[in-house]
Amino acid sequence: MKKAFLLPLLAALLISVLAACGSNENDNSSNSSSDSGKSGKKVTISFVHWRGEDVKVFDSLIAKFEAENPNIKVEQQVYPSDQYQTTVQAKLTDGSVGDVFASFPGAQFEAISKAGLFTDLTGESFVANYTPALIEAGQKDGKQLALPYQLVYNMPIYNVKLFEKYGIEIPKDWDSFLAMAEKLKQNGIIPIAFPGADIGPGQFMNTMVMNNATDPEIFTKLEAGETKLTDEWWVKTLSQFKELNDKGYFQQDALGTKDQGAGALFAQEKAAILATGSYQLAQNKKNNPNLEQGLLAPITVSADQAVYEGIHTTTFMLAVNSKSKHPEEAKKWIAFLSGAEAAGEYANGTGQNVTVKDVQYTSEELQAVSEWTTKKTRFQPRYTITNSEIQTAVTNSIQAVLGGTSPEQAAKDAQAIVDQQLGK
Amino acid sequence: MKNRKWTLLLFFAPGTILYLALFVYPTLSGFYYSFTDWDGLSPSYSYVGLDNFKTLSEHIVFRKSLVNNLKFMLAVVICQTVISLILALMLQRKSKLSAALRSLYFVPTILSSVSVGFIWTFMYDPSLGLLNGTLDKIGLSGFTQNWLGNMQIAIFSLAAVQAWAHIGQMVILFVAGLQGIPRELLEAAKLDGGTRLQVFLRVTWPLLAPAAAVVVSYTTIQSFKAFDLVFTMTNGGPAYSTEILSTFIYNTAFTNFKFGLASAGSIFFLMLIAIITWLQFRVIRTDRASYS
Repeated sequence: MKKAFLLPLLAALLISVLAACGSNENDNSSNSSSDSGKSGKKVTISFVHWRGEDVKVFDSLIAKFEAENPNIKVEQQVYPSDQYQTTVQAKLTDGSVGDVFASFPGAQFEAISKAGLFTDLTGESFVANYTPALIEAGQKDGKQLALPYQLVYNMPIYNVKLFEKYGIEIPKDWDSFLAMAEKLKQNGIIPIAFPGADIGPGQFMNTMVMNNATDPEIFTKLEAGETKLTDEWWVKTLSQFKELNDKGYFQQDALGTKDQGAGALFAQEKAAILATGSYQLAQNKKNNPNLEQGLLAPITVSADQAVYEGIHTTTFMLAVNSKSKHPEEAKKWIAFLSGAEAAGEYANGTGQNVTVKDVQYTSEELQAVSEWTTKKTRFQPRYTITNSEIQTAVTNSIQAVLGGTSPEQAAKDAQAIVDQQLGK
Repeated sequence: MKNRKWTLLLFFAPGTILYLALFVYPTLSGFYYSFTDWDGLSPSYSYVGLDNFKTLSEHIVFRKSLVNNLKFMLAVVICQTVISLILALMLQRKSKLSAALRSLYFVPTILSSVSVGFIWTFMYDPSLGLLNGTLDKIGLSGFTQNWLGNMQIAIFSLAAVQAWAHIGQMVILFVAGLQGIPRELLEAAKLDGGTRLQVFLRVTWPLLAPAAAVVVSYTTIQSFKAFDLVFTMTNGGPAYSTEILSTFIYNTAFTNFKFGLASAGSIFFLMLIAIITWLQFRVIRTDRASYS
């Protein structure tokens, strides 16, 4: 009787112990799939990224890749961008997901490279498919650790028809930018839809600061203690943010507006400018097919002092996890994506420019920004900040100004955090 | 007898193993990492002694988050205790609606914090949200606010949602406390000529004090531990005005990759909660009234 009772109990105990070790089980199965890959059987690789809006296009690309490589299966896993760092990076460390993964430039790239999670792609044949100047964000210590796939213009989007309706030309200096905003306001249009609660400060700061501090190394110098946020370049930028807010050129209560809310104001043509970036062109068009969109950057100085016309970022950096059990298969997937045909399908299907050479753009949104490839743009200044606490302090100083703090005080408060980070 | 011991041990084993693996081990490893400079990703790290605790004591954002957390906690405790007590007293009156209302108050408790966060972010939206829209419609436009965008009130807007989400549990605790008070005592007090207020202050409240202490204690701990709501609604913004201890620890570990510093923050957090709980249980013990 006792034995009959103990047997199921022991079985239950065994099951619970096995359940506790579930993750190890998964690892083992993953190992066995690696072995099977070598013996000609199907290998599954995990492709992790944050762009939910690209899933359909990637599904199509995966189908083509799998047809060409019948022994490789690509499993696409998407995590929202705001959770991407937290959810994915921990998983990358044990190699359980993300044989191929995407990363952001700047602070995230630094953290992942410091942890040694990037496989060195230097010398791989597919690297030559990219425009060399556009993949520098994925380089460190002379090695190509990741390949920035997207070319994004982090510049405000404007409603072309509204500008035409009110006879507004693209402003060439700060005075004409203010005059443009005033004219729109007088006509009952919100000049700038600003998502101040989330992505707005981090996006709009780039164009606002680009001509106030023309040195591309300005934030690198900030992190080296060679310049301060209390210096003229940043206080002036904050003052101009304040001016736009005080004059009512942002929508009311901009600090309480999130990305979607600001996007809705623009898509409904209640606002003439959306202070985000080219990555939202396709979404805007989806929300309002009648929209005609262009990109413009606020020029915060006089026309003769303006050095830069806009901002670009090379992001969505493709990489192979150094802990991957299938590095060769992972490289094959990146090589496939690096081909002009696949990159073209991705670009035209998602409305994103890419860094791959010889890609034919067909979509209206991409044509709208194609002129920017020849203009003088600079790499997104925010992404040159490698310490994320400093990055937050910088963007929070913009929020503080919009919340009523004086530009001088907001700059001082943010510099105090920077100083603490630098150990001063 | 010996077999019986082994059987008992086998029964305890699964739970014990899970408890050790999922609670004791992470707590102890967190304690260990609080003395290191581990970034949470790299395979190597160094022992830094008490450096993390020193850094924490001087950290501007950590200090802000502690102050914000205290404001948040006080607002939640006052709001939640007072409103749930009033609701419980109303539910005590015999009415056909009592049971339905009790369920209604409990509904927010069963919603996930993340859903509550999304619902209220929409409600609070300054231009499209239901709250300002309703205030406008009923002629109270003067009370419309930038609920989550105003740095002075954002933390209290979050506290209101936290209180709303958990008020049902507190009502149930108070109702249970009220049902434990002998009816004869209340009737005797009324017969002696006591007004409603006098009966409440002299009879009901003293006997309800243990339930109130549990409510306050539970609410305090719950509001200190709040994370999901704040993370989904503001993630500490605007400009650190809603940064609380849990979001600071989370961001330090997973956004700033300072796992050692975040662990030190967690240890501080654990000690703070332990001290508050200990103090409150002492109060509960000394403040207990009896009708025996």
